Amino acid sequence: MIEPTAIAQVGAPGMLAGNAPVGPLLVALTTAILTLGLRGYPTAQRGLSIIGSGLYGLAVLYLAASVSAGGRLVYQVSDWPAPFGITLVADALSLLMLGLTAVVALAAIAFSIRSIDREDQRLAYHPLFHLMVVGVTGSFLTGDLFNLFVWFEVMLMSSYVLVVFYSGPGETRAALYYAVLNLLGSGVMLLAIGGLYATTGTLNMADMARRLADPAAFGIDPAPVLGLAAILLTVFALKAGVVPFQFWVPAAYRAAPAPVTAMLAGVVKKVGVYAIIRLYFMVFAAAAVPVSLPFVGGGEFLSFFGPVLFVAASASVLLGGFAAVSQPDLEGVLAHSSIAQIGFILLPLAVAATVPDLRVLGVTAALVYTVNHGLAKSMLYLVTGAVRSATGSTLLADLGGLVEHDRVLSGAFLIGGLALVGIPPLTGFFSKLLVLDIAARAGSTLALTIAVGGAILTIAYVTRTWNAGFWGPPGERVLGATREPALVGITVVLAATLLVFGVGFDPLVQAAEAAAGAALDIDGYVEAVGPDRFIPAEGGEAA
Amino acid sequence: MTEFVLAVALGILVAVGTFLVLRRDLVRVVWGVAIISQSANVYLITMGFGPTGSGTAPVIAGAAAGPGTADPLVQALVLTAIVIGFGTTAFALVLTYRLYEENGTIDLEELAASGAPASEEVSDD
Repeated sequence: MIEPTAIAQVGAPGMLAGNAPVGPLLVALTTAILTLGLRGYPTAQRGLSIIGSGLYGLAVLYLAASVSAGGRLVYQVSDWPAPFGITLVADALSLLMLGLTAVVALAAIAFSIRSIDREDQRLAYHPLFHLMVVGVTGSFLTGDLFNLFVWFEVMLMSSYVLVVFYSGPGETRAALYYAVLNLLGSGVMLLAIGGLYATTGTLNMADMARRLADPAAFGIDPAPVLGLAAILLTVFALKAGVVPFQFWVPAAYRAAPAPVTAMLAGVVKKVGVYAIIRLYFMVFAAAAVPVSLPFVGGGEFLSFFGPVLFVAASASVLLGGFAAVSQPDLEGVLAHSSIAQIGFILLPLAVAATVPDLRVLGVTAALVYTVNHGLAKSMLYLVTGAVRSATGSTLLADLGGLVEHDRVLSGAFLIGGLALVGIPPLTGFFSKLLVLDIAARAGSTLALTIAVGGAILTIAYVTRTWNAGFWGPPGERVLGATREPALVGITVVLAATLLVFGVGFDPLVQAAEAAAGAALDIDGYVEAVGPDRFIPAEGGEAA
Repeated sequence: MTEFVLAVALGILVAVGTFLVLRRDLVRVVWGVAIISQSANVYLITMGFGPTGSGTAPVIAGAAAGPGTADPLVQALVLTAIVIGFGTTAFALVLTYRLYEENGTIDLEELAASGAPASEEVSDD
């Protein structure tokens, strides 16, 4: 039995700072509930919604300040010690992702207050948006596998309703496909989690990492764990929209309101990437396959996942890139580009998985790219939203000559597009450079070819979109377009962020390096969570 | 023996669920998804027996576990999953009804034929 008095605050410098990991969760959840209660007072609801997003950013900043450099802040919910209770872990990786979430969420909420019809906002938009933020935050912070499933569901439930928000025939259809696919994904995730619990005897990530590092001591057979981890990978690939699980992306992104799509493409997709880094580069990384597998041989799990990730990443880069070149509308171009860019994020991860020496560099490159794509793509979706509210259309055939109509908005699109292409001094240049550098260091001509090919495709679709939508003679819709300075202003702020991070690149790359270090440091993570602190040393409960 | 019966039942459930998901009728697809997520729940419950047929409660840590103890943790997990599954299935059924109202059909191929931008995604479903 556990002595209740033996429960200690783990790694807590002070009372308030020790509770910092729940801060962002509580702020977002409170905002969601209050905005639901304030439906009768639309002005107060909108005000509270934006204040809540601001406070969320402050809570993330406070959490970042509370986590000592290179350290981890562990919060045991209700003081139940690991591995029994739910553990929240804030480390450099979580903080980087939370920071991205805070920036994109604030911009998206500010944008939606102006861009979405006031009456439409009243009923459920703000509560759902903040609940989605709750789900994303929980996914980034949790240290428990089943809890991750629950946060995924929180996030998905709200995103289903936000995708169907406009409630036209197209939206209903897109939301249904999105929902059915993700429901199947949830079922598969539950199967994999159940299997992992049965084989490893735990759901706590730190405990699982500890047990997989020494499977014999806990009576674990690593072979089924590899299979279950592979099943779990399909779920994360579905969430991230990687080929061959990419087909829901364009329909859902076309259906959702622009600020929601900014969140979906900028942040929610990244939850899949985060889960891949957290689980496969940390929890499962210590495990080794005892049997020899075809093509791969024995060895650590990552050497098995490396080729899988590589194939998925290459297919995403090429398929997404080629499809983006031929899309008729802005949303279609961006949605397919989103598939391709996720490929660019996975490519260094695949190299990192295969070549152990490049692991830190590879994960760093993936994280830098994640932040770059999160900012650039959400900004581009907001530009699309501003174009739609100004002209009533995003079909490239209807547009043209937007530069004449609104130079600022076009400038924002150009910066976002150039960030995707990778032109200095934007963040995109360095993130693409890091990806190419990783491929070159690994000596993989194939990876290098695919990355360069993908970069050329990016240039092609960004140029085509720019030429068709922003240059040339103005279309009829552009001539009669209105102006929304507030919407344009928000896109300019995000564009400026891209520029600032590009010029002052060091802080971002340092944060990403710290995050990669934290993600790969298995012992540090296990030590911080301390799943063995309250159990008899023999670990007799292992089945 | 219990293990074997449950394994067979699980196999049948997943097979039925997969069959239904591949139908053209949208309601059956939703049913199929519901059955697959329920079979995941049944699978979780069977995990509570452990490989030897009698699992152990994690909190007791092996010390005082009787021979017939089933792991209560998986049951708690399944309760959570059932609630989530209930909500999502209800939502999917409402969407299906809405789709029927808007298009007058729940046949996926007819929907694919009438759908403009999302048509290429339908065939993948």
